[in-house]
This record gives sequence, structure tokens and C-alpha cells, in this order.
Amino acid sequence: MAVIDESGQAYDHPLYTTLINVPGLSVAVASIDQLLTWGAKNALYIFPMATSCCGIEFMATAAARVDIDRIGSIVRATPRQADVMVIAGTITVKMAPKVKRLWDQMPEPKWAIAMGSCAISGDFYRDLYPTVPGIDTILPVDVYVPGCPPDPQALMHGMLRLQEKIAAKQAGTWRAPELRPETEKMHGPAVRRIDDPERDPAITAEQSRQAGLQSPDAPEGELDWRGAEPVPVQAALELEALLRERFGIEDFPADSAPIVPRDRHLELANTLKAMGYSLLIYVVASHWPKPEGDTFEVAYALRSPNAGAKLAQWRVVLQPGETIESLASVFAAADWQEREQYDLLGVHFANHPDLRRIMLPENWQGHPLRRDYAADTACRPWR
Amino acid sequence: MQGLLRGLVYGGLIITVLMTATAWGMWLERKLAARMQSRIGPNVVGKFGLLQPVADLMKLLQKEEIYPIGADRLLFDLAPFLVTTFAIATAAVVPFSAEAVGADLDVGLLWVLALGGLMVIPVWMAGWASNNKFALIGGMRAVAQSISYGVPLVLTSLVAVVFTGTMSLSGIVKFQIEHGWLALWPPGPGVVAFVLFYMALLAESNRIPFDIPEAESELVAGITTEYTGMKFGLLYVGEYVHTMVGSAIAAVIFLGGWDGPFHIASGLHWMVIKTVALFASVYWVRWSLLRFRSDQLMRLCWLYLVPVSLGLVVFAALWRHFVLR
Repeated sequence: MAVIDESGQAYDHPLYTTLINVPGLSVAVASIDQLLTWGAKNALYIFPMATSCCGIEFMATAAARVDIDRIGSIVRATPRQADVMVIAGTITVKMAPKVKRLWDQMPEPKWAIAMGSCAISGDFYRDLYPTVPGIDTILPVDVYVPGCPPDPQALMHGMLRLQEKIAAKQAGTWRAPELRPETEKMHGPAVRRIDDPERDPAITAEQSRQAGLQSPDAPEGELDWRGAEPVPVQAALELEALLRERFGIEDFPADSAPIVPRDRHLELANTLKAMGYSLLIYVVASHWPKPEGDTFEVAYALRSPNAGAKLAQWRVVLQPGETIESLASVFAAADWQEREQYDLLGVHFANHPDLRRIMLPENWQGHPLRRDYAADTACRPWR
Repeated sequence: MQGLLRGLVYGGLIITVLMTATAWGMWLERKLAARMQSRIGPNVVGKFGLLQPVADLMKLLQKEEIYPIGADRLLFDLAPFLVTTFAIATAAVVPFSAEAVGADLDVGLLWVLALGGLMVIPVWMAGWASNNKFALIGGMRAVAQSISYGVPLVLTSLVAVVFTGTMSLSGIVKFQIEHGWLALWPPGPGVVAFVLFYMALLAESNRIPFDIPEAESELVAGITTEYTGMKFGLLYVGEYVHTMVGSAIAAVIFLGGWDGPFHIASGLHWMVIKTVALFASVYWVRWSLLRFRSDQLMRLCWLYLVPVSLGLVVFAALWRHFVLR
């Protein structure tokens, strides 16, 4: 005689059909099952997949005040000994395979909590090229804890809901949230939408002062965060003199850095380093699409830490098809920064020791910070 | 036949009592740690969280068993059981009172030290068999540490042997009842020997500040990295039992065993009090201090602990020869 359970699966193994008819056995099995479930829900060891700011709230949850150890949850550093993965933070396309791998390394039975808007849906990074739009696209999530970031109490609440879910699944009373009668009640008009017509977009300074959004001491009008007028500093004069005398450059625009010829760029870096500009601050490129081809501007900044933190900045303009000499041989810090510019913009640095992608996965197509990069460029399997 | 029966009864008793005590020892540790961090610790599962160890056990029992690719299955399975077995077997010779002793061996101390030394092997097995770089490094560190700290451990035990003239643990206690506890008498060197023994004990059982074999910030979870479910539980319990039995032995050798202060109400309860106090102090230290670096650990052992314990042995011999006679 086959026994058919709720999901329609038939159990007709002779051992099963014999055992099911032993008086009292099903009660005993049910009791053991209950005991095991009680154990499972009261000793949820956490594997923290904390990638960004939610991780800070996660730490606070484990610390004094909320103290997740009260319900028997401790944090294990290895996925092999964890029961719950708490995904706290934005997951990028490069991170996603690692998260999936760690999830696969966890032993059954296991659960996942998506903590914070980014883990739930990607939030306002959702449409960005490297963001995974919700961790539930790669692993099954049991509890969503909304918030940006959720506070420790919210995560604790999520843990308690997970315990309820484990117990309800064992008791067979579990129902998915969209099937529950109270769901509609919960998602009523309580949520205030951003495009509410009642909301006035133009909040005046006086209104914000009244609302306590602005300090009473702040001056009238628009708040000027830029500070005092820029004054010509010694470093700018020093660099200008150097470029005039040794490099024959005459054009010094008031609002940006001087343009240095491509072939003398390495020489300039060496000269400045010898003058004490020993710290590479940044390497930034920008893309200028033109009918005849793509032009790139690469800006470099050096700092002289010993002589009053003087700053030297210059630009190199690359015509279509040109490459720029890498500064990695002069400044070790240029290595990764140039890789980043290569990764995001596709600027080629000649004689770079290791020109590979650094931020995005190796198999990424295109360079997302180029002006002609479409935001909806295919990025499998998410879009 | 009678001996076999006695062995079975005492063996069963020791395993049951020790495992139970260790389970709630873990609860005690969690509560102590919480107290030290202004937290509360387990308080939901049962009154004061007292059922927490049971819940942990129930959870561990039902977890999936995972063998990593390339793991040596036999050693991988064997290591957790050997760790626990060796740790419990040590307790067989510990005299909890004049009567409550599993086997009162003439060479009881030797048995303890030998089994404590053997603990290295299953730990190394676990590290090797996991086929995981973190586990392997953890295992190597554990071996290096245990072998190094085995030396001061044996030497400080030797101090007690030279003083008392016996290797039987109950003999050592009887000597202390007659002459005074070794940690207090002779004044000075006894305390030093006790402190060195305690430090070596911390290192042998891989506790902070000597827990580099499982340094979470570097090695994920050391030798237990690849272990899931109850096998992880056994490795974990084995370490706690090791600490518990180590505390009991320290109490026997240096704190007069079942002898009460000034011989007041001597008996089993004093042994329990001393053991639990030492056990708790291990965790007090654990949650207060940071861990040593590998090189600092070795330097501390070979440049300071070993010479000092050698000096103590010489002192003990002279004291024995000229004062005790």
C-alpha cells in the first residue's frame, strides 16, 4: 500500500509501508523530528557575507545591546559550519560567483537572509552595470530584512522570523507570504511613494530651516561648500616654470591642468619624482567620442609629501589609436590605478607590467565608463 | 573480571560526566564571554540559556556531511574521534577524590603526559586529511606549538615528581595533604612552576593567547575549516575536554587535589571547585588577551619557559636533597 504525501509523492518502499503501520512509531518519529527542528532553529550559526555598510550593522547585532548570541547564534568564519548566510551589502557581478560558491559549500539544511535593500534588489545601484539585481537571482533567500541599512533590531527580527519559518515548515503550516491574508493589510497605503503629488520639490531655505534641516547659524542663500577662493600655490608656479623651461609648454588653462605631449610624459614623471613629488595621488581618464574616433584624456596628480604637500597635475591627450606610456615603472601605485582605467575606459598603457581587468570579471564585454557604453548592455545572466 | 567490570563502570561514568560537564562548560564560557563584553549571552533556549548545548548538539547531528575533493576519507573521519578519545582517556587516571579514581596507576602522570602528547597526531591528521591549505597550515602550527610547549609542560610536571618522589597522581595529592600544596609550598618556586604549567596547558589546548593554530583572521577556522556537523562538534568538544582535564590535572598536581584549604571538609567537591575555577580562568584569559605571533610564541617557549622550568627542576632536586631528606 503506497502512502501519498501532500505534494503528491508516493512512498511505496516495503520497509516504509511496514514501518508506518507499527503502532506508536509515527508519534516517536514526529517527536524526534520536532526535537531536531527545535535544535536547528535554536542554534543558527551565521556565515556573514558582509560586503558593505550593512556589515557594520551586522557587527552591531552581534555586539552588546542586541546580542544575537542570546538566541544561540554565533558567527562562524567557515561556511562548512554555518547554517545561515547573512548577505549584508551590494553584490557585484564579480562577487556573485564567489557568493554562490560559498553558499554551495554550506552543508544542508541551510538558510539565507538578504539584509538591506542592496542584497534584496540592488536598490539604487540596481541599474548600474556591475550590480546583481537582488541576491535571490543566484541563491534562494528565506528572509528579507529591508532597510538601508537595516538596524540591528531589524536583523534580530529577521532571525526570529527565520526561526518561525523553520518551525512552521516542520509543522506543515508554512505558507508563502503572497498567499497570506495579512499580506495585503501590510502593504496598504502606509508606504509613502516618492512621486507623491503632495510633495513640494522646491523646499526653500526658510522652510528647511524651520524643519530643522539646516543649522540656524548657516548664512542665508545657497550653502557654499567649496570654501575660500583658490589661491595660486607655490607648487603650481613651480610646475609651470618647469614646463615652460624644459618642455616648452606655453598654454596654461586657468581651470584645468596643463597638457603634456605624449612622448615626454614619462620624462616629466621622472623629473618630478626627482624633485620630491614621490606620491602618486591619482590616475584618471576621461573619454571624448568624436566623429573621427575616440579621444582620451589621462590626468595624473603627484604630491610632494615633504614640502608642504605640494600638488603637481598634468594631462595627456590621446588621439584615436594612440597609447600612453605606463608610469608603473616610476610609481608602483600607478600599476593598479592604470589597470582600473584600462578596465573601465579601455585606455591602453604601453609597457604596463600586468594590464588585466581589475574591477570587473575577466570575461566582461566592453568598457562601462565610455560615453557610448549603453547602460543596458547584456550582462549574463542578469540582464 | 572484577577489574573489567570496574573499568566499564568507571569508564562509562567518566565519559558521561565529562561530556556533560564539558557541554555546560561551553555554556559557561559563552556566558562569561558575554559578561565580559557587556552582553547577556544565551538566554532564550531554556532558563538562562541552559539548554543551549542540547540545541547545538541537535543541530550538529542533522547537518550534511561533506568530504572535500581530494580529502583522505579515512583520516578525515578518524581524526575527530581520536581527538575526543585521547582527551577523555587522559581523565582515567585523574583522582577526583581518594576513592573516585578510574585507575590509580603508579605512572599516572606519565600516562597523562603521553596521551597529551599523542593529541598532536589526530590534530595533524585533521589538518592533513582536509586537503585544504588553511587546515594544513593550522595543523602544522598546532604540531609546532604542541611539541614546543610539551617541553615546559613535562619539566614543570617533573618538578612535582621530584618533590613528591612519586608519579602516581593520588600519591602526589597525598604528599600535598601531608606537606602543603605545591603551588604554595615551598614558597616562590611552586607558584612559578604552577604558572608555567598553566601557560603550557593553555598552549597545549590551543587557547588564546596561544591559539594561532585556529587564528580566525588568518586561517578561517584552522584544522576544523572543512569539518561539518558532528565531526566538527567532536573536534570542538575534544578541545574543551582537553582543557577541562588539563585543569583537573593542574588542580591535582599543584593545588592539592581533593584536599580543602587547611584540610577543611576535604573531598570530591573541592576537586570540582578547583577544576571549574581553573577551567573558567582559561576562558577569562581567552576573552581578555590577544594572540601571539608564531615567532613570539616560539621565542617565549624556548628562551623563557624552558630555561626557567629547567632551573625549577634543579631547585626541586636541591630542596629534596637538603631540606626534605
